Amino acid sequence: MTSLRSLLFAFLALFAAATALTGYATYSASHAAITGLVDARIDLVADAITDGVRPGDAAAILARIDRFAHRRDTGDIGFELEDVRGRRLGGNVALARAIAPGYSSVSGSDGIAGLTAGRAERRDVGGGLRLITIAETEPVDGYAFIRARNYMIGFGAIMLIVLTGTATFALIVRRRIGEVRATAAAIVNGDLQHRVPVPARGGAFAAQAEAFNHMLDRVAALMDGLRQVSSEVAHDLRTPLARLRGRLALAADAPTAAAMRHEIEQATEQCDMLLATFSAILRIAEVEGGDRRARFAPVDLASLMGEVIETLRDAAAETGHRLTGAATHPVQIIGDRGLLAQALVNLVENALTHTPAGSVVTVAVAQDRGRASVCVADNGLGIAPADHARALRRFGRLDPSRHRPGHGLGLPLVQAIAHLHGGALTLGDAGPGLAATISLTVAPRGVEGPATADLRS
Amino acid sequence: MKLLLVEDDAEFATTLSQSLEALDHQVTVAADGLAAIDANDRERFDAVILDRMLPHMEGTTLVERLRERGQTLPVLMLSALGHSIDKVDGLKAGADDYIVKPTPVGEIDARLTALVRARGWKGEGANTLRAGRILVNPGKHRAWYGDDALDLSNLEFKLLSELARNAGSFVTRTMLLERVWGYDFEPATNIIEVQVRSLRRKLTANGAPDPIVTKRGVGYMLEQ
Repeated sequence: MTSLRSLLFAFLALFAAATALTGYATYSASHAAITGLVDARIDLVADAITDGVRPGDAAAILARIDRFAHRRDTGDIGFELEDVRGRRLGGNVALARAIAPGYSSVSGSDGIAGLTAGRAERRDVGGGLRLITIAETEPVDGYAFIRARNYMIGFGAIMLIVLTGTATFALIVRRRIGEVRATAAAIVNGDLQHRVPVPARGGAFAAQAEAFNHMLDRVAALMDGLRQVSSEVAHDLRTPLARLRGRLALAADAPTAAAMRHEIEQATEQCDMLLATFSAILRIAEVEGGDRRARFAPVDLASLMGEVIETLRDAAAETGHRLTGAATHPVQIIGDRGLLAQALVNLVENALTHTPAGSVVTVAVAQDRGRASVCVADNGLGIAPADHARALRRFGRLDPSRHRPGHGLGLPLVQAIAHLHGGALTLGDAGPGLAATISLTVAPRGVEGPATADLRS
Repeated sequence: MKLLLVEDDAEFATTLSQSLEALDHQVTVAADGLAAIDANDRERFDAVILDRMLPHMEGTTLVERLRERGQTLPVLMLSALGHSIDKVDGLKAGADDYIVKPTPVGEIDARLTALVRARGWKGEGANTLRAGRILVNPGKHRAWYGDDALDLSNLEFKLLSELARNAGSFVTRTMLLERVWGYDFEPATNIIEVQVRSLRRKLTANGAPDPIVTKRGVGYMLEQ
């Protein structure tokens, strides 16, 4: 798979290679052009020195050299006349080394006064004489270095601009992608109001952000509609049910109802069950709506657990259960205390309902670095791992006959509460029995709310 | 009590006012906020029962108007919306209590009694609560029944305080859940019965008579 990053690096490497090659080619081309021009010049001057001179007339050539050396247009040219063995006969320069026949390069190391780089031509002028003509290729000292440096600066600047541009571009793209990702994460965590920030100047990113937000608006509207319908249904059914329950209560109190009392009480119980179901539906809708987030405050899970255990311990004892749990040190999270209490009460009640008398239900609050967890475990029959997902589904009760008490919304409500807090509810094996764990994020350090202060006072 | 019921649903208003009249209250019905303000200007009421959703003027707005006019009478807000965020809005606007429809009339009656009673506390030393032979000092977390100091758990103490605060009138299950436990949900377990039973056991341990009166379907009361 080609990643954006490797693509970017390949592009930058190719660009750098092309730039360096272009720089080198330009440099060598100009270098070759100058060498050609200088070679042509010294050739012409050498022609002029030997033009019309008898072969072997060294004195005439030396006289010409002397004259040329004093002319304005050839004053910078160096000459040396040698015999056939390379011995210097005269001229305005003294060469430290033998010069090869034809054209060659000379440099500052050849000890020619005032020359850093140049070209030389050696030609036989007849009569056992050789003429060496030398000219500077640099208009100023260190010209080659200056030229190379200028090329480096010029092409280096181009490289730098492209690199900076590419990096900035990559940064902007990364930031925009990050914003979309953060929004998606917030939505997953239950904050359905979160949207991608739209860049003010418009453009492709703004259009993309708007499209994304538009999609989220649509999803939110659909979910709202669904929630509203379920809320309204539950609500509209609740009113007549409450009235029915009231009638039953009145009927039970009537002296003539003595014989029917048991039946009436059972009917009242059924009413209560239905009302509880509707309350659970409405509560889940409320929790999923996310409005309760506005009430978030620091909560100490350990003290919350202590209160729930105190509340339910005697009720558990009445059904032959033992409810235990030891609060250790405070575990601070940010959340809705009422909802967290409801979640914990639900989990404990769930354990009490679904385990036989004599069972032990244990509540534990733990903290592992950034994660807090509340675990309610029992030593009953447990739930087969294959059925865990169904147990968390709404109305997903595992008892096929549906004879057991409960409306099948207890665990889904706990799950909704966990989601509201950016956490999760997981079911596991307590070996034997069921372990239901709510995992949450611990409050950042330094958050010490009224919840703990209250507990300690 | 003289009550002002502000409710636009005529059927619901009739049913509720009849039920309240059966409990010896006088009820005046106003169909919207303006009618309510008019009625309140003409007559003096002991408390207002107010629907959250009203035509022309929302219930919360009406409470704000009443409070702006210096009206301090207790306001109990009723709402069809079971969401707690509405409750917060209602209380912020100046309502004293908030309940969600459908509510049994006994619940409304108990809450109104508690609200009117709470108004009467003003100025009195609220350090100790007295109910018959029971004395509760919430500040010091101590309670006595006659001459006997009671050794109560945290929950039992809160429960006794709440009952003592409303001595002479019934406190409903929902009120107890809200005020003793801070719960806005009804647990499936009979936690209130269990807690009342254990409180009763401690109160009557020395052979003293049981001061807690139970009314089925309504709640509990400490005798005054």
